Amino acid sequence: MSEAATAPVVSARGVTKRYRSTVALDALDVDIVHGITGLLGPNGAGKTTFISLLLGLRTRDAGELNVLGHDPATSGIEVRARIGFAPEHHNLPPDVHAADLVRHLGELHGLPGRAAIQRANDALWQVGLGEERFRPIGTMSTGQRQRVKLAGAIVHDPELVLLDEPTDGLDPLQRDDMLALIRRVGSEFGMDIVISSHHLEEAERICDAVVILGGGSVVRAGRLSELRRDSERLLVDVDDRAPEIAAILHASGFDVAVHGEAVSVLWAEGVHDAVRDAVADLGVGLRRLGPERQTLEDVYMEASA
Amino acid sequence: MSGEQGARIFDVGYRSYDGPRSTPVWALVTVWRHTVQRVLGLHRSFRHKVLPTIALLIAFLPAVIFVGITAFLPAGRILNDILPSYGEYVGEITMALALFASLVAPESLCTDRRTGMLDLYLAGPLDAKRYLAAKWAAVAGVMLVMTVGPELFLLVSYTVVSAGPSPGETPLLLLRIVVSGVGVALFYTAVAMGVSSLTTRRAVAAVATVLVLLVPSIAVGVAIESSGAPNELALLTPGVATEYAFRVFGDSRDPSNGDPPIARLSTGLVVAGLGGWILLGGAVCLVSYRRQGARR
Repeated sequence: MSEAATAPVVSARGVTKRYRSTVALDALDVDIVHGITGLLGPNGAGKTTFISLLLGLRTRDAGELNVLGHDPATSGIEVRARIGFAPEHHNLPPDVHAADLVRHLGELHGLPGRAAIQRANDALWQVGLGEERFRPIGTMSTGQRQRVKLAGAIVHDPELVLLDEPTDGLDPLQRDDMLALIRRVGSEFGMDIVISSHHLEEAERICDAVVILGGGSVVRAGRLSELRRDSERLLVDVDDRAPEIAAILHASGFDVAVHGEAVSVLWAEGVHDAVRDAVADLGVGLRRLGPERQTLEDVYMEASA
Repeated sequence: MSGEQGARIFDVGYRSYDGPRSTPVWALVTVWRHTVQRVLGLHRSFRHKVLPTIALLIAFLPAVIFVGITAFLPAGRILNDILPSYGEYVGEITMALALFASLVAPESLCTDRRTGMLDLYLAGPLDAKRYLAAKWAAVAGVMLVMTVGPELFLLVSYTVVSAGPSPGETPLLLLRIVVSGVGVALFYTAVAMGVSSLTTRRAVAAVATVLVLLVPSIAVGVAIESSGAPNELALLTPGVATEYAFRVFGDSRDPSNGDPPIARLSTGLVVAGLGGWILLGGAVCLVSYRRQGARR
């Protein structure tokens, strides 16, 4: 594997950013690797500041930052030429056709005129706006505008795409579509994506890795599969009488906890047989029996504790 | 075999781009061209074309009329009394320049800030300075068409009807047309852009630009004539642009029109005054946009 393929897309070491007395980023150390990475954290965690630093729109107070092999503080224009960015806000020129806006953004990023027209059309087809591409953006729904922004971010075939709250303002169906689209951009289109969000479940659905920020520092970072490791507990999901099953297992000496219709049991020798017997004795349906998997929310809560 | 069965490709999937790419400097040209198109209302609905068309008509129409008069009246004293000099022609098109500066030029800056387009620009291969340079070049370019265009039209037309300068005088006159046109275009660009950089609302920018062009003239006029304030105050009025053009062409004044306060100042002061306006407009833009990239 080549060095470029294994090198992190973004590498931050001790990155600090202050706004007068407020420390927005505090000695941030993180590597963002290839794939789709969720930049997560509550409002005020430092996500927006970090994206601004990645784009070279702000200057850091300390530390080293490397984006696609360049320092954005000194080579901001070169870095931004290779990045696609979709901002959080929904404001776009209302009287401009989607195709014209996306073409213009393509030209801005160095595409020749004819190629920009071709790729703008392609990008709008890819995001599902092929038939709508000659509509003024002012007549489009929030979901369609989010797609226009995504098309504008990928039109020049960037190496890295930064998406700031791309599902903001979308209804559940639109959100599902947008997440599927982002997943497709990251997997089929071969672009690395950093998606800033405060919705943990979104990152859980589409991201390969996450960086969880809190108070300007990295709370947790890594590949999702590593962070969301299986716990040492067994989850017994039944359709009824969970407390009674828990009582039987507890009486047999197992460490048990009840979560709604599910029973969580600390793994020990003979636990599977005990669960089988308890379910059979009570005559309840067993929906699922398997290792209790941590959600991203569990990881976040654990890290924030 | 597939051809025989009429197989068709419905989706070629995503295709990456490995063609040529321009350098980031080209982004300036892209923004410049886009801005020229927007302020002129090109690729936009009819109503967006009305104001720039009126401004261009006001700038060129007197020239067309003067050429018509020249073609039909015999050369002589009457003709010389009717036709303005090249320097005086700048005064004739002040209305067009003011109209463009106040009602059309704000489109170049205000709309980008209001619609979030600025965020997309600054997240691309541009920074605030390059963005402003492209915007200034676009607006100044159109203004230049309004200042230099009619004068070139006059020069060519007068020459065609044998009322133009001698061949020996033409290069100097051409230079004067360009030098005066650039100065006046930059003056009105500076006023329009400086004001527009302070607001996201085109209407506010329009009113403010009109006030900047009108209020100093009235206030300074009253101060000098009534209160005996120094003539140098006249440098704070837009009259400095027309006076600059007048000086570039080396025109002599008609004594019957009186001597405006700015005419009593040296040419150096007039040029410095014009430069001050242009620098002030640029400085206001730079300060206003200094934090724009960071705003996102």
